[in-house]
Amino acid sequence: MSWESIIPNVLAGESPPLAGTTPAAAMDNEQFAAFYARSARSLWAYLARVSRDPALADDLTQEAYVRFLCAHHPEDGEVAARRYLFKIATNLLRDHWRRPQSSSIDEIPEHIFALSSGETQSDSIAMLAPAMAQMRPRDRQLLWLAYAEGYSHHEIAQITGLASASIRLLLFRARRKMARLLRTGGQA
Amino acid sequence: MSLFTCAREREVTDLLHKGHWPQACSEELRAHVASCRGCSDLVLITESLQASRRQTAELPRLEPAGAIWWRAQLRRRNAAIDQMSRPIIGAQIFALAMSVIVIGAIAIWQADNWSAWFADLPTTLHLDALIPSSSPESGILWIIVPVLATIALLSGIVVYLASEKQ
Repeated sequence: MSWESIIPNVLAGESPPLAGTTPAAAMDNEQFAAFYARSARSLWAYLARVSRDPALADDLTQEAYVRFLCAHHPEDGEVAARRYLFKIATNLLRDHWRRPQSSSIDEIPEHIFALSSGETQSDSIAMLAPAMAQMRPRDRQLLWLAYAEGYSHHEIAQITGLASASIRLLLFRARRKMARLLRTGGQA
Repeated sequence: MSLFTCAREREVTDLLHKGHWPQACSEELRAHVASCRGCSDLVLITESLQASRRQTAELPRLEPAGAIWWRAQLRRRNAAIDQMSRPIIGAQIFALAMSVIVIGAIAIWQADNWSAWFADLPTTLHLDALIPSSSPESGILWIIVPVLATIALLSGIVVYLASEKQ
């Protein structure tokens, strides 16, 4: 017996869903498992690279999916669901940064992201870690969403909550700085 | 060409995201990228970040989807129960406040009767036999008040323990 049958229509009594939205819980267990399998690794990579803290990325990935399942999200298929998931994760990261920290995220060692033995790294990947470390968190976010995930400026604006018009300028500056750092081996 | 971007940036971006760079593009475009700062920055960063994404995505040991599904169900259930019990708690607080007000009003209104009833209580309960004849008349209150207070305290504890078990 499920709890919905014990407490009938409880969810129906919650805040009414927005037009064109559906509860993620409408996704059944198997649909969710498939969606999770397709999206979880890229979400984790985003969180881990932007926060530079794999343990935090673990926590926030789980929390993002739980919130996703509890929320109403746009009925525009998997692409929109994925974007919504990134938006939740971005908000969680922002909340995390706003909280008083016991230690700075800049203290997290980058060797956590090092490849296991036997794998090779190109020069650009090897230089990426020190270059990313010198970028501001927001710039890391923008760069990752634009160039690793391939989101458009409009989509990045939806995910980050920044004005669409300012994304272009912010990305331009971040990209120029990042390219300089990559060419100089992470030296500012 | 705008202030921030090269006119061919979109073309280069498409090629990068489709995985067609650099093999499946013209010699002329490669020459352009080599000479254009914006496009070469774009290629450098996109290739680095995409490689990093592929590498990083292999690292996590993800929690099973079923566990996350279960946690979400649990959270939704708790939120639903919280939402349902909110009006009940409000009604309980309101009922308690009204009871206190009514009892207080009756106590004030019937103050004279209460004092008379308290004065007669030892006689009604035949407590006179327990009190030494030498003790003053008001001494009886020193027995009744602690007894009533103890009963009230014990009742409170019983109610608290019963509600905790639920």
